[in-house]
Amino acid sequence: MEADLAERSAVSPSPKAPVVLATEECTAELVTVVGGKAVGLGSLIRSGQNVPASFVVSASAYLGYAAWRNDGGEGVPAELADEIVLAYQQLCQRQQSEVVVAVRSSATVEDSSDSSCAGQFSTYLGVSGDTDVVGTVERCWLSALAPHVSAYREARQLSAEDQGIAVVVQELVDAQTAGVMFTRHPRTGDRSLVVVEASYGLGEAVVGGEVIPDLFELNKVTGRVQERVLGSKPFEHRLSADGRAVETEAVDPDRQRAWSIGDETLEALLEMARQLESSIGRGLDIEWAIGSTRSDSSGSELFALQVRPITVDRRSAPLVASGSPVDIVLRRLGGGHHPHHGE
Amino acid sequence: MSEGRGMFRNPYDIETPAGADGWESMYPGYFIFGDELRDRDESKLWFFDQMHNPEPVYPFDLMMPESWLVSLNQYTTRVWRLPTALGIEQRIVNGYLYLSPNVIEDPTAIAERAPTFDRRARHYFENWDEIYANWVEKATTCIEALKQISFQPLAEVEPEATVLEHRGTTTAFDLLTSYSRLLENAHEMAYFHFEMLNLAYGAYLTFLEFCRSHFPAITDDLVARMVAGIDVILYRPDAELRRLAGRAVELGVGDVLKGHEEPAEIVAALEGSAAGKEWLEDLEQVKDPWFYYSTGAGYCHANRAWIDDLRPPFSALRDYVARVERGEDLARPIAHLRAERERLADGYRDLLDDDEAPAFDSLLALSRQVFPFVENHNFYVEHWHHSIFFNKVRELGEVLVAAGMLEQSDDIYFLHRYEVYAVLYEAEAAWALGVPTRGQLTWRAEIARRRRIYSVLETWSPPPALGVPPEKVTEPITVTLFGINNETINRWLAAESASDADDDLRGLAASPGVAEGVARVVHRVEELDALEDGEILVCPLTAPSWSIVFARIGAAVSDGGGIMSHAAIVSREYELPAVVATGIGTQLVMTGDRLRVDGNTGVVTWLSRVERPAVTVP
Repeated sequence: MEADLAERSAVSPSPKAPVVLATEECTAELVTVVGGKAVGLGSLIRSGQNVPASFVVSASAYLGYAAWRNDGGEGVPAELADEIVLAYQQLCQRQQSEVVVAVRSSATVEDSSDSSCAGQFSTYLGVSGDTDVVGTVERCWLSALAPHVSAYREARQLSAEDQGIAVVVQELVDAQTAGVMFTRHPRTGDRSLVVVEASYGLGEAVVGGEVIPDLFELNKVTGRVQERVLGSKPFEHRLSADGRAVETEAVDPDRQRAWSIGDETLEALLEMARQLESSIGRGLDIEWAIGSTRSDSSGSELFALQVRPITVDRRSAPLVASGSPVDIVLRRLGGGHHPHHGE
Repeated sequence: MSEGRGMFRNPYDIETPAGADGWESMYPGYFIFGDELRDRDESKLWFFDQMHNPEPVYPFDLMMPESWLVSLNQYTTRVWRLPTALGIEQRIVNGYLYLSPNVIEDPTAIAERAPTFDRRARHYFENWDEIYANWVEKATTCIEALKQISFQPLAEVEPEATVLEHRGTTTAFDLLTSYSRLLENAHEMAYFHFEMLNLAYGAYLTFLEFCRSHFPAITDDLVARMVAGIDVILYRPDAELRRLAGRAVELGVGDVLKGHEEPAEIVAALEGSAAGKEWLEDLEQVKDPWFYYSTGAGYCHANRAWIDDLRPPFSALRDYVARVERGEDLARPIAHLRAERERLADGYRDLLDDDEAPAFDSLLALSRQVFPFVENHNFYVEHWHHSIFFNKVRELGEVLVAAGMLEQSDDIYFLHRYEVYAVLYEAEAAWALGVPTRGQLTWRAEIARRRRIYSVLETWSPPPALGVPPEKVTEPITVTLFGINNETINRWLAAESASDADDDLRGLAASPGVAEGVARVVHRVEELDALEDGEILVCPLTAPSWSIVFARIGAAVSDGGGIMSHAAIVSREYELPAVVATGIGTQLVMTGDRLRVDGNTGVVTWLSRVERPAVTVP
């Protein structure tokens, strides 16, 4: 992985480091403090993408919390809670409403390019209000301490002490459609393709494999949609009217048979993929959504929600073409080398 | 012999259609599946050469395949000594030409051939531009020599000059030697045809495979567009028509071109005015060579060139004049096409890693260097030379009619070229004797028999392949020149076993886009008149001169052809969806069916079908 996301950090979380960080400040060298998810979000913001408003509770806060618990403390220590509430209030002020957020753990072992344990950490949707936000951050911390997560870490020979998790608090997008895209083909590794998966409602249905999303293959060079496969999308997750709960609704048959996104969205996604590959690097896994936030429900727009490097390069060995072009051609015609991979 | 999975019909089990018994006698014995080589012949793959010979081969026209049987294969086997391939065999089944590649698998034999191949092929690649410039000279000289050959009927009395100039030989001797020169000239051109073609296609194939190995989803069409020349002479005939249309409007004679159906009427009307005459002079300037443009692939005498039949170019002119009058700019957008070509190449190069890009660039550069030959040889050989050649043969046919050996000049095409020697010699004998010979009666009867057989063979549908396919088709000549690869074979096998009539038709995605419309199945250029605007052209294979209908159709589907075939090139030029190499499209589609042609995926789907004639089970 080039550039931004993969750099190994020299910065370690410590109780002295800030409790809360602005997401746009989360750069790769801070990965052990803010986690891969926050670094990804930070790079989306720095790349000029439309990203829902957010802040990051650092791994230092988690370490502080863990120490407090070790010493027999109960609940969230006041100095941590105050900082989180302050950040949340600032978020609400900026959006001029009580913002409904998603609270997600941003683990420092997750999302790194050689260890994909995405999904082992928690996500809570539809959270709002000071108390709930702080309470949900604590739930993320607690789940990071949960035994099955520790077991995973031990297997990876990482110890809980020097890692910790960060937590991303982000305004929730009430997605009409959402999905993921890969900037190279997940099966063949073809770098000229962007593969988009999309379904109705919040992206969790796609990420969690609950539905068979619509699939599109876009050619980066020609801009053309090379392949479309209609998925099976019998239900969708939507925010409840008050934004505090996620409800699962049936998708009516006409919408099931329809494409969840049209050509305009595909064009916008391709443009997003191009921009991100040029600013962050090649081979990205991007989460996106189309919808509105409750603080600005005037119209729906395309949001970039997450980016991470694709962890495995599945490309089969391409043709090793050395020497002059004439050498290469003569080898092919002479039977010395047949450059289809896998042959 | 039982037909297992993954096999085509045994060539020895193909029945002769009723009324075509004895078709074998029209062709040399080595074209027939005989018992002598049965074990060998029935255990290998034979594919139908739809690309070059979509119709039953006329006995005379067989000289075209016979020429490459020798020239192309000599290059492969004896000149270049391609390490992995021997020559491509030919057979005829019910009049249709089938081909079979031969590969060398023995590593010792391959190693033994490799140094010669490397040395010789390298010499050509490394001196390509100079050799190509020289090639153009040779081809042009050959064509000029062909023009000089002529056939005059034998006069009642030998001309006075024979005596006064003390020649010693006669005009009959000239006739015989002219015929020899004609055959030699055609054979020489066949060698030139293949002098550089295999190597040029080989360079292209290598680049194509390089692209596929890095971008598995890249379509052949995109690779072709990165390589294809922008200003190649194959586009010149059409470009000249567009220019002439503009000129006609300038001179104020556009209405004359639009006002008549028959070219002769148009020409007569134009001669009535100074402006019309000026336009006709322009037309005359253009005719040689640009109207030596065959309406077929150039392998069959029946496909006349524009120079012989002005209807196709004049029909296109009518359309072009109307477009000029509507204010359309008919000039090809050269700058746009060039920019598009670079944009594609840059786009793909930019996706490669730094250590991969140099090979991409150098293979692309080599492909572009050699590709003008691929594109241009077609005009020199198949159009310019072959059109003149077939006219010369027709001239000889007239001579034989005058000599009483044939009923009509076209009869000559029902004779194998070496039979023509016998007929010509007998004509000279009769002329010498001054009394009739037996052959004047027997040859006419034989030709009548062959015409009957031929008309039956025309109605037979040749299967795309026969025999047993190899595990993999890698022989480079087969892949590049005939467009046959593993996918083609698999598709044909699948089509052969599919009985479900609702199955889609699959071919190669040759030009992107999706179109729906009513199908028009067209076998011959003359049938193009029936085509209505927006219809989907379904044909065995299109020739470049069919390009004039591409302005009117919605999409093109062809049985044969590859990604560099005419239908594909012209479709991309007109930005029409095209699917080529379906193998059996003209057999499955009926005129009136509604189709969706997806040029991105190579799939043709039936939206509706017209009623099929009832099938009677014997």
